[in-house]
Amino acid sequence: MDELASYHLSDFILFSQSTYFRLFELYNQVIWPLHILAIIFACLIVYALWKKSAWAGRFIAAILVLSWSWVAVAFLYQRFYQIHVVANVYALSFIVQALLILWYGIIKNKLTVFSKSNVRIKAGSVLLILSLCVYPLIALISGRSWQQFEMFALAPDPTALATIAVLIFYKLPLVLYIIPVLWLLISAITLSVM
Amino acid sequence: MKDKITQSRRRFIQLLAFGAGGLFSPRFINASTSSLITKTIPSSNEKIPVIGLGSSRTFNVGNDPQALNNVAEVMRHFFSAGGTLIDSSPMYGSSQPAIGYGLGKLGKNRDVFSADKVWTWNTNLGPGQMEKSRNYWNVDTFDLMQVHNLVEWEVHLETLKEMKKQGEIRYIGITTSHGRQHDELAEIMKTQPLDFVQFSYNIIDREVEDKLLPLAKERGIATIINRPFQRGDLIYELEEKPLPSWAAQIGCENWPQFLLKFVVSHPGVTCAIPATSQVTHIKENMLACYGKLPDQTMRKRMIEYVEKII
Repeated sequence: MDELASYHLSDFILFSQSTYFRLFELYNQVIWPLHILAIIFACLIVYALWKKSAWAGRFIAAILVLSWSWVAVAFLYQRFYQIHVVANVYALSFIVQALLILWYGIIKNKLTVFSKSNVRIKAGSVLLILSLCVYPLIALISGRSWQQFEMFALAPDPTALATIAVLIFYKLPLVLYIIPVLWLLISAITLSVM
Repeated sequence: MKDKITQSRRRFIQLLAFGAGGLFSPRFINASTSSLITKTIPSSNEKIPVIGLGSSRTFNVGNDPQALNNVAEVMRHFFSAGGTLIDSSPMYGSSQPAIGYGLGKLGKNRDVFSADKVWTWNTNLGPGQMEKSRNYWNVDTFDLMQVHNLVEWEVHLETLKEMKKQGEIRYIGITTSHGRQHDELAEIMKTQPLDFVQFSYNIIDREVEDKLLPLAKERGIATIINRPFQRGDLIYELEEKPLPSWAAQIGCENWPQFLLKFVVSHPGVTCAIPATSQVTHIKENMLACYGKLPDQTMRKRMIEYVEKII
């Protein structure tokens, strides 16, 4: 395995930026009209966070479990893995995150203690707006085809970002942050070396 | 590649097609009237054109039908200009299926000089991986199979030797694109019966001129050069800079041609494999397969000029 150390990260990013973004375009064409469901999911999360009722935590967790599982299979494994040799590992890590949310959020019902910190609520709100409202517009803003948009529950980056937002609203174990934060780092590095 | 008469006829038709293309493109006229530059594989005396086609990154397009057709179009221009050697690896994502798509569309499965690699740390998976690659390419046998980046080379090379003995591949080789593997590669070249070796070389990164290229020549090993444009960085750096007027003496009309002619004019180099996903670029690259190659004095001048302006 000594040879593995001789690789640079850019040696594994063996696809072009245009191929990567075109992947989203083709994916969006194939999965339409699931985007409507994704918008409903996003609205339901915002509503549940606002209501802060007893069922809200489990309800949000269920949406996140579905989202992480869908992205793992439909995007990372079935599509991204075609052009990226380690995307199967990414898909597996998304499944692990779905299982962690299932365990802490649904089985253990840990999404119950809402943060009282203004800073946390503000930070969570900003991240939530970024992930649900701004992220889908990035393709258009950056001059790419609007059809290459990335949405919460369907694409990895906004899903990870929205999950971190939800985690900030609640007092939850740090283990739930690991995969979303790592993913956003990997994604940022990938975009920068492509 | 096995039937010499058919091969000559195909080459004649390819040159005719290339010449016909030149009628509509002035920059191709000089190229079509001069002969294709080839070099000899020392272990067999078979000749191959000095410019091949890499597929890392550029052919990794997934299932995108539009991009797959573009890959086929790039390959069509490559073959029309007389190219034969295409290189890939299981590491390059969907590049192998994309090549298979292009070969199938163009009906070139039997004309291509197919060069692929074995790349797995689990040595038991090597034979299966190579068979999967062959199915992607849809070729009867690979012409050249190489151990990618020295990964588990001791075991994989033994498998390749056995496959060569059985007639399942024609040539065997080993590759690297990392400078720090050069000492180990040199040791392998000294002790193993290799037909080909592949490493990086370009007008800026010339470390291999000291050891690996002379060693390959001494040991009778053909060389394939990857990253002749430093993964595109050299083109990016030079595209706005003026091409020297004396470049015309070696028939160079653009920077890619200049950089490729520098690489393939080294006596130890057999073939360079620039990668591209653009038809314009493959046309430019293939022009380096025609006309004069620089001599030693001109090569020195090329280095001095590039080092001065970069």
